[in-house]
Amino acid sequence: MTQAVAVDHDVPSKGLKGGSLGLVAVIVIGVASTAPGYSLAASIGLVSGEAGVKAPFIMLFAFVPMGCIAAAFYYLNKADPDCGTNFTWGVRSFGPKAGWIAGWGCIVADLVIMPNLAGVSGQYLMLLFHEQWAANIWLTTIIGIAFIVAMTWICWRGIELSARSQVALLGTEMVVLIAFAVIAISKAFAGTTRTVDVEGVATTYRSVKPSLSWLSPSGLTSSQMIAGLVLAVFIYWGWDTCVSVNEEAKDSSKTPGRAAVLSTVILLAIYLVCAFGSVSLLGPKFVTDNAGDAIYALGKVALPTVMVKLLVIAVLTSAAASCQTTILPATRTMLSMGSHGAAPEKLARIDRARLTPDFSTFLFGGISIVWYVLLVVVSHNTSTDAYSASIAAVGMAIAVYYGLTGISCIVYFRRYLFKSVKNFVLIGVLPGFGGAVLLFVFVKTVWDARSAAYGNGTIFGVGTVLVIGTFLLVVGVPLMLWCAAKYPRFFSFRPDPAELVKDPDGDDTLAAPLGTYRKDVA
Amino acid sequence: MSGPIVVGIGGNGSGFEAAREAARLAAALRVPLVLVFGYESTSMGPRGGPLEERVSAIGDEAVDQIRVELLATHSSLAIEVEMVPQRPAEALIAVADAKGASIIAVGHGGQGPLRAALLGNVTYEMVHRSQVPVLVVPDDDDDEVAAT
Repeated sequence: MTQAVAVDHDVPSKGLKGGSLGLVAVIVIGVASTAPGYSLAASIGLVSGEAGVKAPFIMLFAFVPMGCIAAAFYYLNKADPDCGTNFTWGVRSFGPKAGWIAGWGCIVADLVIMPNLAGVSGQYLMLLFHEQWAANIWLTTIIGIAFIVAMTWICWRGIELSARSQVALLGTEMVVLIAFAVIAISKAFAGTTRTVDVEGVATTYRSVKPSLSWLSPSGLTSSQMIAGLVLAVFIYWGWDTCVSVNEEAKDSSKTPGRAAVLSTVILLAIYLVCAFGSVSLLGPKFVTDNAGDAIYALGKVALPTVMVKLLVIAVLTSAAASCQTTILPATRTMLSMGSHGAAPEKLARIDRARLTPDFSTFLFGGISIVWYVLLVVVSHNTSTDAYSASIAAVGMAIAVYYGLTGISCIVYFRRYLFKSVKNFVLIGVLPGFGGAVLLFVFVKTVWDARSAAYGNGTIFGVGTVLVIGTFLLVVGVPLMLWCAAKYPRFFSFRPDPAELVKDPDGDDTLAAPLGTYRKDVA
Repeated sequence: MSGPIVVGIGGNGSGFEAAREAARLAAALRVPLVLVFGYESTSMGPRGGPLEERVSAIGDEAVDQIRVELLATHSSLAIEVEMVPQRPAEALIAVADAKGASIIAVGHGGQGPLRAALLGNVTYEMVHRSQVPVLVVPDDDDDEVAAT
């Protein structure tokens, strides 16, 4: 395993490097933590609903702000590689209140996506056995809950797949996805049609010849682009932290840097070819009409039965991996908040045998199940598609907390911004641009999503996306105020004074412990 | 035999009984005893700050407790401590390799064979991977680490 943080221990480090990861393994972990199979399955139908054949452009476009924010992660991680990431960095740049909300944003984003992970897993698991079962909402919900329980348990046990099994799993996933994309694109070039019975009406879907113009934004309105973006940012979620952490592995000289670049290229390539294949095979409308299980529906048209099963397995395994990258960051943020005295200390409790934050993990798992059931009940009993709405809502939460991270990078390192051109670009321009884009996306989505026309139905006359996206974020405010009353010490922290921030290119980049600077302490 | 005896210690006091047995052996053979606490930290996402601190604090508590106990019984025994940020099994193998250990001692872990094989288990992994003899000692259920 790569070592994210240098720990003081008197082990002769040379003799212990046997376990460090090679180039392939680092790439694999970078790509696997983004869960391309699951991300595609969950988002392609929604993205094509917004952007039609321009889905490939949206997939590419969404990477821009996320890629920019990775620079912020990289630099802030140098100052404080705290497992609370956004939370800790927010406190250091803006103060305890903004930091608390940034941490909350991270937890909320992770929470909002859980029903989707569970739902996709439940549905795809059923598709593996019997197609009709996948339509049974109760069956998939029960499986989905079982899935959350299993993943929570895995995170509590601290079980992690070995690098080798990850290589095997991801390898299968990649091969199947590429085969799917290549066959779909070639079938689209040859021309293919399919007539399907949609609610009693025979609907014919026709393939569309792929065109490079799908990579350009021409013909898209800015609203469509923003709506697409908020749906697509989540496909790159997880990539950035992994990149910055792998980069941190000081002892391995060039591997992490090259791995970061390569994993990015692989990820972009896979999303692009799959987006091309998906929207071209039977046209974007087919993808949108089958948004719930788009990859499966497309796979059935494009691939032989055995490959379809493999495709389903690929989505399933990557959903499981994604669950790990969802529960882990959330519980780490909770642990960090509890540990720094920003929230109940219990959140930081560590199981002595497993060495994992047990209380946070179970709490997060429990709340996820409640939230999942709530969404299923609401989606099932009203015209509201809360389920699809939650992908857009998670995009909003990501936009907020990543946006804040981008801005806090500039604020935190303000003294070093103009020290060199490299600093100006990497600490200033990239995080600033990424942050500004994401915060703009958030504001614009709030504005657009207030009406029913945004889609996915309404709750109390307000667009569902807005309700889910902002409700949970807003709940954070009273919670924060409650914590402020209960934990005055944490809320007396001051942002790190600019003149005491260390040069990120220096030998010693680590900031003083959180809480060193306080209002009542000179 | 000249290499040290390496013992795996868990944060909850597992491996204490193995350490006692290993200490008796090490004292008789006049070789050093190495207490190893390995803690897996996932490669996904940052884990510094409080996570790292709390986990290593748990390791320190466990290792200190058994070290004090062993020194009280075997006053002349040389005890080394290794805190390794790797999976416990990797940590044991690596330390044993680096130190040219003669024996690796581990607790039993208390899992059945199927569970151990499926979920991974230090004992199970040691038995299959170690290049040197492995001493498996059933844990004492009464062993507990008192928080300091």
